[in-house]
Amino acid sequence: MTGFARRLAGKLLTGLVMVWVVVTFTFFLVHALPGKPGDVQYEQYIMSGMTADQASAKVQAIYGFTSHDSLLAQYGGYLGKLAHGDLGQSISYSGVPVSHLIWSALPWTVIPVLSGLLVSFLIGVVAGIVAAVKRSSRWGGLLTVSGSLVAGVPAFVLALLLLVVFHTEWNLLPDAGTSDIQYDPGWNLPYIGSVVQHAVLPVCAYALLSYGGWLLAMKSSVVSVLGDDFILASELRGIAPVTRARYIGRNAILPLFTVLALSFGVMFAGSFFIEDTFDYPGLGDLLLKSIGTRDYPVMAGAFLLITVSIIVANIIADLCYTLIDPRVRR
Amino acid sequence: MATATATLAASARRRRPALAAFRKAVTRKPGRLIGLIIIVFFVLMGICGPWFYGRLAVDPNALYAPPSAKHWLGTDFAGSDVLQEVVTGARYVLATAALSAFFTSLFGVTIGLVAGYQRGVTDSILMRLTDFVLTIPGLPLLIILSTVWSFGSPWQMGLVLGITGWGGVARAVRAQALSLRERGFLEAARGLGLSRRHIIFKEMLPNIAPYATMQLMLSMIAFVGAEVGLFFLGLVPFSSTNWGVMLNQAVFSGGAMETPDALIYLLAPLVCILVLTLGIVLFLDAIDELFNPRLRERA
Repeated sequence: MTGFARRLAGKLLTGLVMVWVVVTFTFFLVHALPGKPGDVQYEQYIMSGMTADQASAKVQAIYGFTSHDSLLAQYGGYLGKLAHGDLGQSISYSGVPVSHLIWSALPWTVIPVLSGLLVSFLIGVVAGIVAAVKRSSRWGGLLTVSGSLVAGVPAFVLALLLLVVFHTEWNLLPDAGTSDIQYDPGWNLPYIGSVVQHAVLPVCAYALLSYGGWLLAMKSSVVSVLGDDFILASELRGIAPVTRARYIGRNAILPLFTVLALSFGVMFAGSFFIEDTFDYPGLGDLLLKSIGTRDYPVMAGAFLLITVSIIVANIIADLCYTLIDPRVRR
Repeated sequence: MATATATLAASARRRRPALAAFRKAVTRKPGRLIGLIIIVFFVLMGICGPWFYGRLAVDPNALYAPPSAKHWLGTDFAGSDVLQEVVTGARYVLATAALSAFFTSLFGVTIGLVAGYQRGVTDSILMRLTDFVLTIPGLPLLIILSTVWSFGSPWQMGLVLGITGWGGVARAVRAQALSLRERGFLEAARGLGLSRRHIIFKEMLPNIAPYATMQLMLSMIAFVGAEVGLFFLGLVPFSSTNWGVMLNQAVFSGGAMETPDALIYLLAPLVCILVLTLGIVLFLDAIDELFNPRLRERA
């Protein structure tokens, strides 16, 4: 187990370094922005009749730094506030902490992404096994092409096509928002039903987005396991097909944990398009809106959180892989 | 002796006509041929398409006109011909994809080759860098960068996409380079004292080229998605019409989700992206077989 602990420590260290680089990058990006948003804000506060100290404190609260300090002091202050989970305050929703905005947006991204991931995992893995076993037939080939095609098509194309078919043409499902306006948010049945109804299309879009990755990975994995000697040996020893299928499944599913991390990244990146198309108030939508209004603290915070969650997902996927496959542990 | 010469000649014959091998690989399955035809069709559309049309002709008397002999795909909300917009828009999309592929190969192939050949410290530094580029989510980064830099022109867009997207290619090329450097002819080249630059670019690069091409085509699919997507989200200033601009206007100002009239205007660019992706996916199968001899045997 010491090997595992060392691996965990190494991964965490690399992850931390990466987070630090991303933080530094966002800090200097906000600094490099044309027109120095912090200074502009400061001038505005002075114009509206604040004293220099008040305005300075206000800018400090929003951005986590003011441009009166030296660059190093600003950077240190920014890091210090971040360490306490303080991401600054939003500009367009005056006075609202960025972390609050992000926390309220997070479930609208994470829950659909995870449900989509689950659905696509189940369908993609089964389709991948079929594509591998029937790889020389027409259906196997078609399945593989469907996987490559869906994996290659951009998220907004999938989302828009879903909208056209299920909303514009058949008018089965709603096209925007998280629920209908007439229901009170809370734990009552009509509201939950409306939420589920509104979530169907985004979840389908997420599922489609990662379906191809699962299918292709499972297919190539099963194909390579099918060629292994122990499969031939178990066949020769007359082991029941059901048991053999379990052997194949157990070995073939291992490499898929690398796909898990990958598709997590793909889906988070796709969340911009999906949330924008379905007008869904998740993280991607928050980042896009903050760019539209040039709300830099929100922008930096959302970007930071998306990057950090992808780094964490990578670490978790890698550790799962280590835990499940004893061969990697050494 | 005679048999040795015969085998040599046979192997020479087998190896020399790369074009024949290519033709064989493409025509083996009809799907691959279809893929090639689709790609050639889009490339021709990108190069020659704008020649057929002059400036965008606007017909203010026909807003959202249905398809007719004059407007094959109907017109959009301003009375422009949809087919014309799709055809002239292809040039931007394809030029940008090609330029991004150029920059990606410039960074990715060079870094992958050098890392795989040098190994040691150079390798670990370059691979750390690659890991980093791979981990930073490209699209959010592009979206943030769009606030600082308005990369509307194909060159700028290609450069930005290339800088953010070379990680996968570099890693794949490095893996190939690592196995290639142990081969006899490279050992011989090292023994002859040829310069490092010669070995990397004259000996290794040609051997990796087909594989790198495959990786590049895969990343080109992603680049088309990213560039059209940035326009769709309205993050890049519109300088001319292209598929992303069409989608943006159809969804956010044309009301394509509400009026069935606008459906073709919305669907035309979507179908183009779908078909182009399908073409590349089908054609990649052929390149895969050319590169991967195990597949060649099996078929």
